Amino acid sequence: MLALEDVTFAHPGAPAGYRLTMTAAAGEVTAVRGRSGAGKSTLLDLVAGFLAPSAGRIIVDGRDVTPLRPEQRPVSILFQSETLFEHLTAARNVALGLPGRADAEKIAAALEEVGLGGIGPQRASTLSGGQKQRVALARTLLRAKPVLLLDEPFSALDDDTRASARTLVQSLTRRHGWATVLVTHHADDIAAIAGRVYALEGGVLRAG
Amino acid sequence: MPRYALLALAAFLTLAAPAAAEDKPTLTIYTYDAFAADYGPGPGLKAGFEKTCGCTVNFVGTDSSIGALRRVQLEGASSKADIVLGLDTSLSGEARATGLFAPHGLTPAHLTLPSAWTDPDFVPVDFGYFAFVYDTNRVHTPPTSFEALAAEPPSFKIALEDPRSDTPGLGLVLWIKAAYGDKAPAIWAALKPHIVTMARSWSDAYGLFLKGDADMALSYTTSPAYHEIAENKPNYAYATFSEGHYPQIEIAGLLKSSPHAELARQFLAWLDTQPAQAIIPTTNWMYPAADIGGALPKQFPAPPQKVLGLDEGTITENKSAWIEEALAAIR
Amino acid sequence: MLRSADLGRPERPFRLLAGTAFAAAIGLLIVALFWAILSAARARAGGEVHLDVGYVLYITTLQAGLSTALSLAVGIALAWALNRLRFPGREVVVGLFASAIVTPGLVVAFGLIDVWGRAGWLGGLGVPIFGLGGVVGAHLVLDGAFAARILLGRLDAIPEARLKTGQSLGLNAWRRFGVIDWPAIRGSLPGLAAIIFLLAFTSFPIVLLLGGGPSVPTLEVAIYSAVRLDFDLNAAVTLALIQIGLCAVIIVASSALAPVATSVARSGQPRWQDAGAARAAQWIVLAFALFGFGAPLAAVIADGAVSVPDVLAESSFWSSMCTSLWIALGSSVLSLIVALAVAAASAAAPGRALRTLVAVPAYAYLAVPAVALSLGAFLLVRDSGLQPETTAPLVVVLANALLALPFAVATLGPPFEAIARSRGRLIRALSLGGVRQFTLIEWPLVARDAGLAFALSFCFSLGDLGVIALFGTQNFATLPLQMVRALGAYRSHEAAAIAALMLVLTIGAFVAIPKLFGRLGDAGA
Repeated sequence: MLALEDVTFAHPGAPAGYRLTMTAAAGEVTAVRGRSGAGKSTLLDLVAGFLAPSAGRIIVDGRDVTPLRPEQRPVSILFQSETLFEHLTAARNVALGLPGRADAEKIAAALEEVGLGGIGPQRASTLSGGQKQRVALARTLLRAKPVLLLDEPFSALDDDTRASARTLVQSLTRRHGWATVLVTHHADDIAAIAGRVYALEGGVLRAG
Repeated sequence: MPRYALLALAAFLTLAAPAAAEDKPTLTIYTYDAFAADYGPGPGLKAGFEKTCGCTVNFVGTDSSIGALRRVQLEGASSKADIVLGLDTSLSGEARATGLFAPHGLTPAHLTLPSAWTDPDFVPVDFGYFAFVYDTNRVHTPPTSFEALAAEPPSFKIALEDPRSDTPGLGLVLWIKAAYGDKAPAIWAALKPHIVTMARSWSDAYGLFLKGDADMALSYTTSPAYHEIAENKPNYAYATFSEGHYPQIEIAGLLKSSPHAELARQFLAWLDTQPAQAIIPTTNWMYPAADIGGALPKQFPAPPQKVLGLDEGTITENKSAWIEEALAAIR
Repeated sequence: MLRSADLGRPERPFRLLAGTAFAAAIGLLIVALFWAILSAARARAGGEVHLDVGYVLYITTLQAGLSTALSLAVGIALAWALNRLRFPGREVVVGLFASAIVTPGLVVAFGLIDVWGRAGWLGGLGVPIFGLGGVVGAHLVLDGAFAARILLGRLDAIPEARLKTGQSLGLNAWRRFGVIDWPAIRGSLPGLAAIIFLLAFTSFPIVLLLGGGPSVPTLEVAIYSAVRLDFDLNAAVTLALIQIGLCAVIIVASSALAPVATSVARSGQPRWQDAGAARAAQWIVLAFALFGFGAPLAAVIADGAVSVPDVLAESSFWSSMCTSLWIALGSSVLSLIVALAVAAASAAAPGRALRTLVAVPAYAYLAVPAVALSLGAFLLVRDSGLQPETTAPLVVVLANALLALPFAVATLGPPFEAIARSRGRLIRALSLGGVRQFTLIEWPLVARDAGLAFALSFCFSLGDLGVIALFGTQNFATLPLQMVRALGAYRSHEAAAIAALMLVLTIGAFVAIPKLFGRLGDAGA
């Protein structure tokens, strides 16, 4: 489970700051909606450790992760774009989720689980947008972190691909007990897979 | 190719482990690179002296003769060098003043130098006369004096060496000073339109001349002999100047700190004998310091009629000021 | 509190440490060189400087400034043209351009004389090649083409997506340059400018050969004469410090300009040709450059070609070639390692000040006058109780590596910085370690640039021997020394042949080595 307790933050020079409180349960997709510019990416950066809050705590499974550096946080993140290293093969990209040596079986299994068996040797630059997101999801499988952060992951996908991608996210979340936070401005994404929903507005999170 | 690689590797390794061979004494001679290099007199002199001396001769070539002097100055008493070879008479006063050189106690005989040799510290190695060299195919009536050179049309170009970086360049400063004394700056100023450049080294200036970018280059009276002997090109000559020509005498001196003083003295004595001197003309393209009779190639010209000279003490004292004066006149 | 950009930069204490250590070692070496000279100087009477330092600085700065500005302008235009145009033999042309800067300056200067000199191919045009114009022209040939080669690398690395976007927006040629090309090359300009300025500022034989007399003075000549002719080490140190001080201002200023993230990618770029006037301009730029840069080099080759068989038949040529190759290999490996360490450390540095501090010493060596280097190196080796003759090869390898280092750092710095900026967050989010960051991400992306840096170092090191001027060079034959010896012994044909062969070797190295490294990089992906 992920919890933000009165996490405050202000961008240098920005007049108003953020004051964020939320919880995201394990095995469930928690959606955060908001207009663009509302600060959705800031929220994810705070959880992932790229921004340091000025006060408050971020709790993952009962442990305060606020002081941890991005590398140390028990979090996987899928950026909107540039989720993969284009010059590496799909398999090598997935292998980046493992701390040590590449384990070919695990990689193949992870790719299989996201429905991309056999795509391993292909260069990331040759994959479609939907395939790239799936490869990135396969990588988070290997990382096996309790929190998954998704930053508008389906925006670039066409309707069919996007429907199957979010179904995949939902089933993976359930199967692996992740606390998944989905940041989006698409109502249909939220309607399709979100358990709990927050709205980010004026620097504050409200339920609903 | 692999054979050459091996050769090079061997050369590399011998570099790392020099002359530890046997217990023959090693005579170390500091000189300028061109003297020690394959084309120069070094290898011939080494082979010649080693035949009789029961020693190993080791030429150490620094980038220039003045570099060799600076090196022994920096090394002082701890220097491994026995002899410094290749300085010339424009630097002898300064070298003597370092107090590093010992009297040689020799009286070289049968010398062919422009004047009698009485120097107690240095013996002559070879000599030449500075002169402007031209291509007879391109220049039909060369100037016959500095004043005539100055009076040529501005399109008549000469390539010089910078007196701060090269001995012929310094030689020209002394030449004009010896010929014109206080009027030297005026001559320099009159030469200015003709100077295509003042190159860093003799080879740069001479290269400019060979490429045709200068009508004449400051070199030696013996330069045309090279083209005639080695390239079979008789179309190079030097311009005889009525003021007279200034000589450059290359010298060698024995260091006080030499661990093999007697051997070094023997080398200096041998250096001015016919077998050693016969090596000089076609390796260093200078006149031998001693008479070698018929061994002097006939292409070497007779010495100029008039030879100039300056007193060593005056040179040492005024060299820097004269260089500055010359440069200021053409700046 | 750290800013977000810095949190997006992976923390790499080991890289910082290694880079700082190298930087400190170089700095210490330079200090030690001067310390050695100063302690030798203390033993002798101090002299005063007979020199109008202000005037010399004015002319030298003017000359170096002009050389830099023109080289960059020409470099940008040429890189732009080469990036757009495709034609048979393009790779050889690119190799030719890159090779200019590492060709011994005198060879290029004589090549210029072959073309523009009074008796040259185009001597009839009466282009004045002696004087300030000639000096700047020679520097332009040496450095302009080099700048083009480096900038071309940046343009070729523009990501496919960005080009496609631009193409679909229908950007015209000029806006395309402003919107897409300029941001990509901007980051490389300060480093390039610093290098070119330093090279021009410390230029010595070219200035004397083409300067047309003492009216184009440089500080290097004055320092040389203080050390050699007057043996006034105090004055020499004073002048050398003035030179270093001025160059340091340039170096720090250029490093302090924020390195703008350039892109790194290895995508096949779409064919997007400019049309109309721009395309015509590109062909014209290329034609002029080919002639301006190519003709002097072609003249060198043409000049030497006749005597090449004679030279090839001499075993001394092959042994000096082997010596040169050994030295080149040793110093280019060393230079590449240090450059990678410095570039990686600089990209890992959390603040601009630290970034500058790490990168500056890599350039500092260029500012030290050559004659001070040779004197200092000799004294250092002697003071350490070593034999100059036996250490000479090592000193040459080290000196050449340091000489090539600024070029290598300028080549590798921007891509490392770009990776840290654009992929830093992803690298952190994936908790990748430094080793995996290098082997998986950075190496495959910078391999080609590393190849270029390696080729630069390799060719540079084929043989500069200035640093061992006092060491005893008679047993040490490298190609450039062999060439100088041949020139000094009237054998100008032989010298011309060696110069031609060196040039061919250099161009070959520039075509082959980056390709080879590209393969190595692909193998890592």
